[in-house]
Amino acid sequence: MQIQIKCSCSEESCQEWAIVELQGAIEIQPSFQNRLHNLEIGQLCRPSSPENYTFTVGYHELTGSKVTLKKPFLVLKKKKTINFEQQSSEGDSTGTELEVVGIIRHRILFKTRPKALISKPQPVVTKRATATGSSAPIK
Amino acid sequence: MEQPHPGCRGAEAVLNLQPGSSISVAHHPLFGPHDDLILLELDEKLLPHILHQRVTLRGQPDEDAVLCTPSKTYGIKFVGNSNSVFLIPPSDHPILCKASEDHNGKGHIQQASASVIKVAPGSMELVEVAPRLDKLRLLLSENPYRSEEALQFEDVDGMEKRITGLYTWDDLVDKIQASDEELRTGLMAFSAAEIDGYWRIVDEEYMGKLLMALFPSSVLNDWSLNALNEDEVVRVLVQDGFPQKLAHHCLSVYGSKVGEGVNGSCLWSLDERRVCVHFAREILRGGKRKMESLMEEWRHKIPEGLQASFDMLEGEVLTEKLGVDLWVRAFSVSALPLTPAERFSALFKERAKWEWKDLQPYIRDLKVPGLSLEGLLLKYTRRIQPTLDAEPIFSAR
Repeated sequence: MQIQIKCSCSEESCQEWAIVELQGAIEIQPSFQNRLHNLEIGQLCRPSSPENYTFTVGYHELTGSKVTLKKPFLVLKKKKTINFEQQSSEGDSTGTELEVVGIIRHRILFKTRPKALISKPQPVVTKRATATGSSAPIK
Repeated sequence: MEQPHPGCRGAEAVLNLQPGSSISVAHHPLFGPHDDLILLELDEKLLPHILHQRVTLRGQPDEDAVLCTPSKTYGIKFVGNSNSVFLIPPSDHPILCKASEDHNGKGHIQQASASVIKVAPGSMELVEVAPRLDKLRLLLSENPYRSEEALQFEDVDGMEKRITGLYTWDDLVDKIQASDEELRTGLMAFSAAEIDGYWRIVDEEYMGKLLMALFPSSVLNDWSLNALNEDEVVRVLVQDGFPQKLAHHCLSVYGSKVGEGVNGSCLWSLDERRVCVHFAREILRGGKRKMESLMEEWRHKIPEGLQASFDMLEGEVLTEKLGVDLWVRAFSVSALPLTPAERFSALFKERAKWEWKDLQPYIRDLKVPGLSLEGLLLKYTRRIQPTLDAEPIFSAR
């Protein structure tokens, strides 16, 4: 069985997607769980100092930087196709297709310990400590 | 802080964020699990293959899929990420255009923002692996090409031909987890020939018949075994009743191309070792033989002008001392599994302990990306060396 990886990107490059990555997970207030669409996660800022980025989620501020990936990621979309014309000997007429829909060469990575900004009002979206229970993200 | 261009909602807003600016990062209107969106980590040098659509996933439903470029095979594994990886598509991406239109009317487009379509749980990584060619040998052994088949004439309408176990190139690509180039190399290594569109392993006995027809003809026509004219050889063998395809195949199995002849026809040189090994295998097909008996019959069988020596049989036979006699039996590396674990298992099943000089011919063909021969030995064998100048002995781990 063969599945070809299709790519309708031009010769030069595929459309570039972005990744914002942080340690731990975000927590949505229960009343907003069903209204995620368009719900803001946080503010991504790039202060005047060009190397740093800050990401403010709820009352936490994270500091990070733009990292070039050693190996790029391809974003693939998996599609199930139903082919009415093709009748193979097994009588199976569905197939899977994979298509390249984008490429990722950079990510904005936040791996420092979040700084708490305590003067903000109660936020809808807050940053939860890392899954392991410890809020120290240093490996 | 300055705001970037309003309405700019995608990856570009993030990637081109200028110093002194900020943007809002929000859930996309279509935010969701989107299990059909997969991240694949890819070495830069494989990118051209992807862009030119030369990459495929291969495998049967019950096998782990592999990714194949035109010349290499890669295993695929999913690597989870405990971080939150927010995936942001470019703003004008077709996936998202529709949703953007729907939501443009509602709400306020205040500042520029970037929309997260999903949180990726991890990504797929590639690991270069050896092509899985043991299955190829298995498939081709289902219906080898034999003398009986050659004797049948052109397909007569209504004549039943045994059609099971026959595979075309496309069938093989469909069933074997290997890149096209590796598949071709594998077919050559198995001395397979494409006959009537099907790839076949030709039965050794039949190859023997071809060889036996070749030698008298070469004497009769005064051919040099080092410069056989392809067209002439094929013509004579076809006259003798062999299919043209197999006449060509005989040359490629037992010879090497050495150049071009007078009228553009290729010149072939017979490989002495390959021919002699063929005859030794023929003798040993009947069972093991005493060394003296083997050598005598062997010298008798091989054609004029060729010299046989026992070291030609490296990787083809094993010897054992029984009483005062040295016995020889067939044990060909070409019949052994290609994957290291199974190869060593088969070797240690045959013999519990191996000396390096005996073992080497049976493992030197093993190719595992990222693992040297020493690495293979370390991984699959136990090495015993009583003293520094004693021969090391290898046994199963």
